[in-house]
Amino acid sequence: MLEIKNLKASINSKQILKGLNLTIKPGEVHAIMGPNGSGKSTLANVLSGKNGYEVSGELNFKGESLNDIPVEVRAQKGLFLAFQYPLEIPGVNTNNFLKTSLNSVRKARGEKELDTLAFLKMVKEKTSELGIDEKMLSRQLNVGFSGGEKKKNEILQMKILDPYFSILDETDSGLDIDALKTVAKGVNSSRSKEKSFLVITHYQRLLNYIKPDFVHVLSDGKIIKTGCGDLAEELEKTGYKKLN
Amino acid sequence: MEKFEINFKQIDQIKKITLEEKNFRIKNLELFNTAGFPSKKFEDWKFTDFRKIIDNNFDKLDTKKVTSDFKKTELIKNFDHNYIILVNGNLHSYNFDHEEKSKIKISSYDNNINYELSENPLICLNHALAENGYSLEVDKNYKFNKTLVIYNFFTNEIKDKILNSKNKIKVKENSEIHIIEYTINESKYKFINNVYEDLVLEKNSKLKNLYIQSKRSEGFFHKYLKSKLSENSDYVNLIFSSGLRFNKLDIECDLIGKNCSCNILSALYLNKNEHQEIKTRINHLVPDCKSYQRVKKVLDSESKGIFQGKVYVKDEAQKTNAYQLSKALLLHEDAEFNSKPELEIYADDVKCSHGSTSGSIDEDSLHYLMTRGLNRKESTNLLIKGFLNDVVEFIKSPKIKEFVENKLEEQVNGHK
Repeated sequence: MLEIKNLKASINSKQILKGLNLTIKPGEVHAIMGPNGSGKSTLANVLSGKNGYEVSGELNFKGESLNDIPVEVRAQKGLFLAFQYPLEIPGVNTNNFLKTSLNSVRKARGEKELDTLAFLKMVKEKTSELGIDEKMLSRQLNVGFSGGEKKKNEILQMKILDPYFSILDETDSGLDIDALKTVAKGVNSSRSKEKSFLVITHYQRLLNYIKPDFVHVLSDGKIIKTGCGDLAEELEKTGYKKLN
Repeated sequence: MEKFEINFKQIDQIKKITLEEKNFRIKNLELFNTAGFPSKKFEDWKFTDFRKIIDNNFDKLDTKKVTSDFKKTELIKNFDHNYIILVNGNLHSYNFDHEEKSKIKISSYDNNINYELSENPLICLNHALAENGYSLEVDKNYKFNKTLVIYNFFTNEIKDKILNSKNKIKVKENSEIHIIEYTINESKYKFINNVYEDLVLEKNSKLKNLYIQSKRSEGFFHKYLKSKLSENSDYVNLIFSSGLRFNKLDIECDLIGKNCSCNILSALYLNKNEHQEIKTRINHLVPDCKSYQRVKKVLDSESKGIFQGKVYVKDEAQKTNAYQLSKALLLHEDAEFNSKPELEIYADDVKCSHGSTSGSIDEDSLHYLMTRGLNRKESTNLLIKGFLNDVVEFIKSPKIKEFVENKLEEQVNGHK
């Protein structure tokens, strides 16, 4: 699904990622943990194609190189990023946005665009599946949303766009236990042989609900340790310091 | 262009005028000929060197009356409406089939005397030469069933012309009307349209006035709008008119009756060499009135947007509530936004606020939208729409709102 080889990235001449290697196969869930400033969010941004980074190394997604592929095309190819801090977009209705977004992805995939009726039917299914209040969608995109609502909205977008590969960038931070369960439910119900996930988190808490196949520790721009689910529990007890 | 002066003979050609009117016109023509077109030296023209704009765009100009051979063009089909058709500023025809006709008076405008002298040379020019325009009066206790669309057509005959016209709209006690002024410019040529407009809102009346443009054009527009708001009256002016080479709206509003409310809102997108200015002066002359101004401009390539907004509160105008905000979204490094908010307050128990901001498109917001599959242009357009949206939300009728949204979308997408 995703192959990262010797990935280096810097911003404003400061190197953040210093030769990162990671391979994620279809159907796998990987978790990346690591202390503040280790490069977790940079990794998410670089994978999404965000401007402003100087990037070298190889990024392959479903057998194709992602280098030089613009942000929206990555999204259309089935790569999704759930933001750590979803942006507030004033004046843009959430429902209209979701529809525009879905249809641009469908169009790029050569699928028929959904009309309003079909779209609303689909949204209804997804919101009730996740236990999200539909009223949220008639509001402006993320404007005045609580932290939990924003994160739930990210997961809803993930469900609607139905990507092959999703990155969850600290989606658990600032969430109460109910919202956390919604997020986990969103991921778990999407897990399949074809779908993969990269869960970036500070805490082991989320991993109680989303059981990863692999846990990696990112430190100073590199993966320094890889293990199974129990590595997260170990880290929770010992902290990151011992690893260095 | 050499110094532009108008021969007094032109006033002799205006038919059926009294000596008093003739003298008033001559006086104004003298004022105009002395001042010339306004340059930056005029305080009210600080950000707009109209003289230079004229020099750069016209080799000659002529103020002679135009006759036009007007063929009817298609009207708006999106919603039922009454209409008035103006051709090059002249009242051409009208239709009030949705209304009780006895409640409406409409005629060509002919009163051209009872005006104060102005320091604005373009108003002087208008006072000197205006012969065209319309006068509309809505009788007491009458609420319009449908919107009135004023089609403002310009034809090809007006190359290098200055058109001067005067309009008046009077809404009598307890009456209500919604007007859309829809400018359709079929002229390929440059011309100047110079309008003086009077609005009178009597007690408990409501007037909602929306300005919009059909497409991009080579017109240079100046409009001075003078309104008087009586007790409990409610005035809303929504300005979406973009796509003009030059457009200055000079709005002066006297709040003369308690509890009246004046709302000036604008949302538009300017591109290329378009120059647009909204200048307002809201005079709070009595207590308990409200004024609300919200002006939003999206400025692309070499366009220029200006907002000069003044709120004046007289000493006796206690409990005034005045709000003013202007915001610009700059899409290009050569775009320019000038804002001059002013408050002049002589009363001590008032609530007045003003603010002005400008900025460019937020890259993080763009990135967010692009990760959802929209390309850069689609994402930018969505952010622009969002930026202008809070003004569009003031339109209550869904059909008219849709019509305006489509026009705004054309401004953003198609006007390039």
